[in-house]
Amino acid sequence: MADTTSPVAAVQAEDEGFYHESALNAAWTGSRLAIGGLTFLFGAFLFAYFYLRSLNSSGRWQGSGYVPPSLWQGTVIMLLAEVSAGANYFGLQRIKAGSKSTWQISGLVALAFGLAAVAFQIYQLATLPFPPGSSGYSSVFTGFYPVFLTIQLAAMIWLEIVLARSRFIPAMSFVEQPPTIADTQDVQKFQANLSAFSATWNYLALMALLFWFLFYAL
Amino acid sequence: MAIQTQPERAEPTGRGPEPAGAAARPWWMRPGAHTGLVGAVIGYFLGHWLGNFLGGDFARSGLSDTNDVAIVLGYAFGVIGWLAGLGVFNDLGRLMVGKPMPEEPRLLGLEEPGLAKYFRYTLDHKVVGIQYLYGMIGYFLTGGLFAMAIRSELLSPTYHLIGPEQYLMVVGEHGTMMMMMMSSVILGPFGQYFGPLLIGSKRVAFPRLEALGFWLTPAAYIVLLSAVVMGGFPTGWTGYEPLATQATQGMDAYFFAFGLMGISMILAGFNMIVTVINYRAPGMRWSRLPMFVWSMFTVSFLQVLAVPVLVGACYMGLEDRTFQTAFFTNQLGGSSYLYQNLFWFFGHPEVYILALPGFGVISEVVSVFCRKPLFGYKIAAAGMLGVGILSFFVWQHHLFMSGINPDMRPLFMLTTELISIPTGFIFLVGMGTFWRAKIRFSIPMLFALAFYFNFLIGGISGVFLSDVPADTTEHGSFFVMAHFHYTIMGGLIFAFMAGIYYWLPKMTGIKLNETLGRVHFWTMFIFFNTTFLPLFALGLMGMPRRVFEYARNLETLNDWVSISAFLLGGSILIFLINFVMSMLFWREPEVGNPWRARSLEWQLSTPPPPENFKRVPVILSSPYDYGVKDALPVADLDPPPGVIGAAYAPADAVEA
Repeated sequence: MADTTSPVAAVQAEDEGFYHESALNAAWTGSRLAIGGLTFLFGAFLFAYFYLRSLNSSGRWQGSGYVPPSLWQGTVIMLLAEVSAGANYFGLQRIKAGSKSTWQISGLVALAFGLAAVAFQIYQLATLPFPPGSSGYSSVFTGFYPVFLTIQLAAMIWLEIVLARSRFIPAMSFVEQPPTIADTQDVQKFQANLSAFSATWNYLALMALLFWFLFYAL
Repeated sequence: MAIQTQPERAEPTGRGPEPAGAAARPWWMRPGAHTGLVGAVIGYFLGHWLGNFLGGDFARSGLSDTNDVAIVLGYAFGVIGWLAGLGVFNDLGRLMVGKPMPEEPRLLGLEEPGLAKYFRYTLDHKVVGIQYLYGMIGYFLTGGLFAMAIRSELLSPTYHLIGPEQYLMVVGEHGTMMMMMMSSVILGPFGQYFGPLLIGSKRVAFPRLEALGFWLTPAAYIVLLSAVVMGGFPTGWTGYEPLATQATQGMDAYFFAFGLMGISMILAGFNMIVTVINYRAPGMRWSRLPMFVWSMFTVSFLQVLAVPVLVGACYMGLEDRTFQTAFFTNQLGGSSYLYQNLFWFFGHPEVYILALPGFGVISEVVSVFCRKPLFGYKIAAAGMLGVGILSFFVWQHHLFMSGINPDMRPLFMLTTELISIPTGFIFLVGMGTFWRAKIRFSIPMLFALAFYFNFLIGGISGVFLSDVPADTTEHGSFFVMAHFHYTIMGGLIFAFMAGIYYWLPKMTGIKLNETLGRVHFWTMFIFFNTTFLPLFALGLMGMPRRVFEYARNLETLNDWVSISAFLLGGSILIFLINFVMSMLFWREPEVGNPWRARSLEWQLSTPPPPENFKRVPVILSSPYDYGVKDALPVADLDPPPGVIGAAYAPADAVEA
């Protein structure tokens, strides 16, 4: 533990405290900003979907002889993402209540379901019943999902990092104030990181639902 | 505390404590640009092989013995190899096993002696700023050389130097290099370097993302240049469909490079926004934020929100060319208009991504050299935000001639005209500051004055062009080209030069030669205007863009423009000589506060110490209170214990 008894150490600790606070806030701001940026990225595909659908160039939004992608596959992929987000959300509530182990279990469940969604999505893209350029619909479908699964995969790497970090934080630190400032700051950073991840993952689950609706239900 | 006119030079830090681990190895054994290059070459060939393996039966072009899949995968793996070689992914493995980030010698980049830190994935925002500075000068000069080639061909109304296809390639490379790479010409060097200093912060929010943003730019530059060896791309900087789908492999380089540079812009903007919101020193209220930071903040929002749409469009373009989707193929259910909409949804905010940083730099400069508070500070800040918001609502004016519903034209004409109002706010703030000022005509101020002159012409011609009848008449002519060169080169590049002369002494401790600087300014200002003003006339006389031949009656004016352009190139050469000689040989030191500026960066030693501030400063007043009686000093750089703690911890917590 740093010596905070000397005046120099005291002001250093004060400065570090200021930047620690800034970093916690940065995690919140960063995740919301990332959601904003991702919305515009997905917005490009959303625009393409409605633009090409309404234009129906050469009558080929879907075209004659159109075979849709498998509904059950798409639904399972979407549900995997939803269950993953739900498990993570449940775990987040538990860790806020002080139960680290419950969060770790639900975090692992969220990771497994999220990775399964990615893997199943890759499988679906590799076995599509239509060529990518056969219609406007097929173009948007085969263009959007590789981007989406890449972002989902990145989010799962983020979750893995959060899970790995949690192993080094004592469970008691989530129940009562840790003994040192450094430990307290570690826990706060972890919580900020987890909270930022959860916001992003919930958002991605919402997007999974939206695009499932567009591609399979509308 | 009075304004320090001669702050101390930073104490020589020496080597400091011997760094451990990787940092203790000699430079050539540590990750850097050289290992990045090795990674890029290996990655490219691996990706190329994989592309041939996966798509070997795809159609091959006569210009190349490979296919688009192989090229794009080569680029992708090359970039991954480049980043891996630089050491970008080194911390990821550590994080994935749950270890905290290592102690950060890389955050204190300027503490390290020697030049190696500039060729590494260094996390110090000041090192990143200097990396950007040299990078951007290099990219600008490359784009400028392409411009010289264009004007050389246009010396004659018929083919004499480069053929029609090569001419299109050169035009495309020039336009893309300038519009794509120059997006970060101010946000990169000055934004990254001075943003944290101006808000009183010791650090940025996401140093890894910031450094990654820079290191993607050389990759984008090389990829874009690689189009030359594949026959270039015929679309100019806009990459319009369906020509892009029909083009040869150079088009892959265009889409990939633009997308990559887009990611770089997003990362830079993302870091800037989060830093400005969360890392401002106590007392740095929004109403005290320097105008340069306001401009960076606004532009960063444009980058984070508008550029993802460009990245999406570039991705769709690449998908069409490799994965055989049909986003932009009308016969297969796609639409070439889709690309135009997506591109210009980014493309018009891009214009302000280029223009607003210029206004930010100039706003700093005019207040210092007028020795007056910035006139209408809040109006200028509101103008910046107004321009930023409105820039999302005007993109359809680029499609006036593309066959959009004619009923939509008046709406977008109106929004385009509306945007001139907040732009006018920012412009008039400068005029108000000049009013009854005792102006010091130092070199940065000369460039600032030229900026206003040039931007006035560019802006007024822009309002003229926003009218549907004018646009439909002048579309695709040299008139439009003259307009945007007046705003972008006459605005952005003049502001960039003002920034270099103003801030280089703070960044390096060395000032540029004054006499050569003045020669540079006058030649650049005169020859810029003699080059681009006649283009308005040429446009009105019917000279089309992107065509290497023209009517004989336009030859005299074209020759005048070409000769002026060469002289303009000569003025840039004078700058380059001044820059190289001053930095390498003359090395005239400038360690104080030569402009007697109030803003925070000038209150620090030169160059600023590794952590910027000894303590978190407390901001006491506006940076623009020049000549204000009883004005407080701008900041307390060494506040007493307890003040900073009280700024972030609730009083009851402190008492506890």
